[in-house]
Amino acid sequence: MTVTMPTTTTTPDRSRRLAVTREGGRMIAEYWDELFTARERGKQIVWYNGGALNPIFQAAGLAWCHGEAFAARLAAQQLEGPAQLAGAEYGYNAELCSYSRTHLGCAVLTLQGDEGGSTGVVGMHDQAELASRLPRPDFFVNNYAGCSTGQQWDEISYRVFDKEVPIFNISHPFLWGNKPDAGYLAGEEWESASRYVRDQLVDLIAWLEERSGNRFDWDLLRESMTYIKRAAELRREGLELCKAKPAPATFWDWISCVAPINFLPGDQRLVDYFQAVKDEIQDRIDRGISGVENERYRMYFDGIMNWNKLGFLSRKFAEHGVAVLAGRYIQNAFWQEPQLIDTDDPLLGMAQHYLLCPTNHGTKTLDYLTLRDCAEYDVDGIVFHSTRTCRAFTGPQRLLARSAQNNLGIPSIFFEGDVADASFYKEEILESRLTAMLEAIDVKRAQAS
Amino acid sequence: MTSWRRYLGVDLGSTTAKAVVVAEDGAIVSSSAIAMGAVSRAGMQKAVDAALAGAEIAAADLSGTVSTGYGRRLVPGAQRTFTEITCHARGTSAMVPGCRLVIDIGGQDSKAITVDEAGFVQEFAMNDRCASGTGRFYEVLATSVEVPIEELGALALRGSNDLEISTMCATFAETEIVSLLAQDAPVADIASSVHRAIAARTLALVAQVGRHEPVVLTGGVAQNPAAVEFLARALGTEVLVPEHPQITGAYGAALLARDADRRGRPVADDVAGADGLFPRPSEPHACGSCDGTIGAPAGHPVDLGLPLRLGG
Repeated sequence: MTVTMPTTTTTPDRSRRLAVTREGGRMIAEYWDELFTARERGKQIVWYNGGALNPIFQAAGLAWCHGEAFAARLAAQQLEGPAQLAGAEYGYNAELCSYSRTHLGCAVLTLQGDEGGSTGVVGMHDQAELASRLPRPDFFVNNYAGCSTGQQWDEISYRVFDKEVPIFNISHPFLWGNKPDAGYLAGEEWESASRYVRDQLVDLIAWLEERSGNRFDWDLLRESMTYIKRAAELRREGLELCKAKPAPATFWDWISCVAPINFLPGDQRLVDYFQAVKDEIQDRIDRGISGVENERYRMYFDGIMNWNKLGFLSRKFAEHGVAVLAGRYIQNAFWQEPQLIDTDDPLLGMAQHYLLCPTNHGTKTLDYLTLRDCAEYDVDGIVFHSTRTCRAFTGPQRLLARSAQNNLGIPSIFFEGDVADASFYKEEILESRLTAMLEAIDVKRAQAS
Repeated sequence: MTSWRRYLGVDLGSTTAKAVVVAEDGAIVSSSAIAMGAVSRAGMQKAVDAALAGAEIAAADLSGTVSTGYGRRLVPGAQRTFTEITCHARGTSAMVPGCRLVIDIGGQDSKAITVDEAGFVQEFAMNDRCASGTGRFYEVLATSVEVPIEELGALALRGSNDLEISTMCATFAETEIVSLLAQDAPVADIASSVHRAIAARTLALVAQVGRHEPVVLTGGVAQNPAAVEFLARALGTEVLVPEHPQITGAYGAALLARDADRRGRPVADDVAGADGLFPRPSEPHACGSCDGTIGAPAGHPVDLGLPLRLGG
């Protein structure tokens, strides 16, 4: 037997991404371009993190920047390096949430740009451009639930700007779910937490009016939330269609749809976009087009998205015939319960959605949500993205894996990566573990046949 | 009349290349293990050549080849690749029928695999990040205390004091070991403490898949009696070691090639061993040396008896 060098070949892309998401990409690009020039157009600017407060900012006449979203955008374009280097120089080490240290690095670059300082990031001027384009904020608002980093993140941003930018912090009770009457969307804990957060939103609105000098437009809030509610309903309907076999669209398509539902203005264009998403999915079902060529396995993907690897992971899973269909980050986030929103009085429904962050549930609720979606999408296995710098998300993953195995007979694998830092990802680990799990699934299928 | 169909399994691991030739009845005709660096093509060539020579056949005589290991995609002539998880489960279940937990510790990774009564993979877990808890860790220890790797186990068994090795990183462990040496700590105690720490690390891996018995330890580390002993203590149960634990992956790969051929399906299209009744070798496990020495003549498998039993 003579050993010969293997020929390098390119694996064909077996993923079939939705075409309409390109329009979503254009909408997002336009949004950021407008934000970069907001001050020149006379807008005051708020930086915020966590839950989607943008409808309030829209009604308050402000331009808004979601720090997490901007960090994700940089990572998705592989442009996170300069911001992370600037953050590292400032003292934010690699174990800090990579969303936060990327965005904090942006804050450093913004500040140094204003002051004409140098970041010391040598030889990366072109890449630094995007990371340094955020306009200086006039306000900070933190709306993180169940995240030990989030509130400190904005506190540190406040310090980066020499404590000269006012900050408002919304406090979210953790939904432990361990009282006798507690359940998903049920129980005294849920009711009291909802009222508590709603009251803070009222305080936030008063605070913004006072600080900005702008009168809050309640009619605009109701209008934008009407659009957002409709967009969210369409999103849910599109997700439901993906339970079909083979699935017409996958998790990666829905990841591409996160930004529009998360922070774009509530308007007709947003509704039209999600209508188009749903329509394309329905059209695929009608024409027999699957989201993955030759779908063989259906997976649940748990973890915040590895934004550096979106396209890569989409192709990798498709290469194995895997349709990734569900995950906490999609099914259990982003205005996911639109029926809660009363468009005439939206604050309570908004408050409830901020509480329903996937990192804000106790294990009992997470277990319920995960197993529910695994069953409804008829999942064969779970891939846990051990998001290295997000302990809030990864903390319960082993428990969920155990529960899925014991209750549904669903196997799991774990691989390490991060939300905005590609250095934690290890190709061979994911490849070998995924392949091993698929082999085990094949064996069990053969046994059952 | 003995069937002359032969099947090859190749495990191109991170530090060692292993090859096994089996007969149609599952008996090992020959095997080899060559340590020649990371995913070594030269090592693979030597391992395959040695196994084929031991079986007194040429590559063209093979009825099927399956590869596994880090370098599984680099093995020419392999009709199918399977992961180490599948191959180690298959090979170990055949060597130690009835085992329920396989712990494989190789040069760069470690795995815990639970198998059902038929020998199919139930759950598995692997070391998360670096080479912690793997053979690399032992190499660092051997180098630091200036003891040949082959003598490390005996040294560790003579240690008695737990010096608390806290790090799980092989690189940082070296720093701790050097520090202990600088404090004039007994070398035997250092060695035993490292073994104890690695056993604890392995126990954490087992916790991810659940404890099951019987337990079998495979991989190159299983040749170290102290590693077996300390793991048995940590688990609180007997740990079985097959006669030549390094080749379980390659053996499993060869069996998978045989299984597919038996069903009359191309190896590339076959599902791993799932034919309703898990095939068992009709004769006890038998094989030649695992250090590159040629095994028994073709058609005359050597019966080396039951697995070694250590620890507990």
